[in-house]
Amino acid sequence: MNSALAAFSMVFAPDVMIAILASAIYGLIIGALPGLTATMATALLVPVTFYLSPIAAIATIITSSAMAIFSGDIPGCLMRIPGTPASAAYTDEAYRMTLKGQAETALGICLWFSALGGIVGTIALVLIAPLLAEFALNFSTFEYFWLAILGLMCATLVARSSPVKALAAMLLGLLVSCIGIENPGGTPRFTFGSTDLLGGIDVISALVGVFALAEVMRALTQKEPPPIPERKLGSILKGQIELTKKYPKQQLRGNVVGTLIGALPGAGADMAAWVSYSLSKRFSKEPEKFGTGHPEGLVEAGASNNAALAGGWIPALLFGIPGDTITAIAIGVLYMKGLNPGPTLFTEKASSMYALYLVFVIANIIMIPLGIMLIRASKYVLRAPRSLIMPIIMVFCAVGAFGAAGNNLFAVLIVAAFGILGYMMEENGFPVAAMVLGIVMGTMVEQNFVTSLIKSDGSIIPFVSRPIAAFLAFFTFLALFWPLIAWLRRKQAAFAAA
Amino acid sequence: MKLPDRITGLILMLLGIATFYGGSRLPPVPGQPVGPDVFPMVIGAGLAVVGLLIALHIGRGFEDAAEAEVERFGGPDREAEEYARRRRWHALLPPALMVFYYFTSERIGFIPVAAIMIGALAYALGANRRLILPVSIVGAIFIQVMFVKLLRVPLPAGLVPMPW
Repeated sequence: MNSALAAFSMVFAPDVMIAILASAIYGLIIGALPGLTATMATALLVPVTFYLSPIAAIATIITSSAMAIFSGDIPGCLMRIPGTPASAAYTDEAYRMTLKGQAETALGICLWFSALGGIVGTIALVLIAPLLAEFALNFSTFEYFWLAILGLMCATLVARSSPVKALAAMLLGLLVSCIGIENPGGTPRFTFGSTDLLGGIDVISALVGVFALAEVMRALTQKEPPPIPERKLGSILKGQIELTKKYPKQQLRGNVVGTLIGALPGAGADMAAWVSYSLSKRFSKEPEKFGTGHPEGLVEAGASNNAALAGGWIPALLFGIPGDTITAIAIGVLYMKGLNPGPTLFTEKASSMYALYLVFVIANIIMIPLGIMLIRASKYVLRAPRSLIMPIIMVFCAVGAFGAAGNNLFAVLIVAAFGILGYMMEENGFPVAAMVLGIVMGTMVEQNFVTSLIKSDGSIIPFVSRPIAAFLAFFTFLALFWPLIAWLRRKQAAFAAA
Repeated sequence: MKLPDRITGLILMLLGIATFYGGSRLPPVPGQPVGPDVFPMVIGAGLAVVGLLIALHIGRGFEDAAEAEVERFGGPDREAEEYARRRRWHALLPPALMVFYYFTSERIGFIPVAAIMIGALAYALGANRRLILPVSIVGAIFIQVMFVKLLRVPLPAGLVPMPW
């Protein structure tokens, strides 16, 4: 109880409140502008979080990402251009509703079910994380090793691409994490004599490159979106209660699926929206209406992508394994602020955890009034020319990475290199999220592997003889060979049919 | 820029072999079963195998399935693809400007370098000509004030020291 009270006083401190409000507006605008993603918003926030209190720092990330995932729906509804990848799955549907003259209903669904989804996702986080934490207290390095590997394998499985390419991306990320002297021998590894590389690749700079600079690069190969048409919008929230009553199952399924996908390492809000939209269609009583401006899929996918955001924090807080690209960045901030992820976080820093839950709830509640304000102002916000915003973002990338890397100019080169790498990977079908997971988790995998081997005196038996470790190992290998099994079964089915 | 899978696969394979070789030459730690060499060697071997699989087009079917799904949800825009192909080299401008920043910012100073970067990219993105100069200068000063005054990041003053 004392922790809960302490959490309230932490969150309702003036600096945290200002941080929440400012980051909400920032997230709403970034998300609404096509080409600027929620992950990019988070990456560019990191240098700012240096100067904030721990709770304020985490609050800015939670709030801005939740807002950006919602506001990405606005250009989707009004212009058929998703503001963030998480809106892409149902952009067409939402735009068709707009064409039918139901723009306010479509926007209302996106706003209302995003907020509900975020809150349900938070409840899941509140309920599941402490339970898992208690369980995870028994984990030793053997279990952590398998958990980390399983997380990496999941990232390759859930990628919407070839699992082979996802595996390559993940290995590339692990290779990046090898650079520097932070390894079991403390010897310079792959530094090629450069003193700048001795400390390793600065993770934040790499992420800024992959998620922000690569996006600026992509803008150069895409035409400026057309100006938003003038449109009078009626009441945004009208009819949402009826829709909530009409589609309770869809909403709940969206929430559950979203939370689960969010918790899976490597898969985030965009994946959740795709899966929920297709699930909605598959289980719908009127699947023929999908794609014609039907609210059902919108309800489910909208409820799903915001729930995924909260879900992503479950493995991030518990194990330091990012559930999505946003928490991949957030983990760095957690460490920086002394909130090192791990099961003990829930016992030793319980008040901070309560504060974090509270921020989630507040963010999803203020999303409704602020979201309505943004929808009303979208005419002006969406008219901001991309050709002037992208250059400012680029300079932010340079200065932000410089600041985040401890005023190290070399970080600017890392941003440039990872910008090119991220851009090339995306173009050629290599999932960037898998590489990011490799970069973030490489050290963890290696440390747990080496520590385990030292503990077991070089024997690999304890890796599979401890019950939980064996269980995790089994699933790791299942995940590794799953694409092969799926392929064989498809072949078999085709053979049987022939 | 899209490359054929044969090329990306080959690059990854070579990178994997180089990683394996580089890892194998790292000194072991006396009295410790695994040293700094094991992890890179595992990664290198993995990359080499995966690179070979990519070069042989294994797993391509999954990508085709994902693309087919995207096609069902609206489909790719041929005109946009052609535009992207024509402008593929333009994409290198932002990283080039970052390298420019690395080499010049300390000597010339943050504000002029940032203004040049903003101006160059805005021009390349086809911004309104009359707006480019004012936005470059105001944008550079805005970022400078924000980072130097609010976040206390020491950006180089160079030739154009600001009064604050």
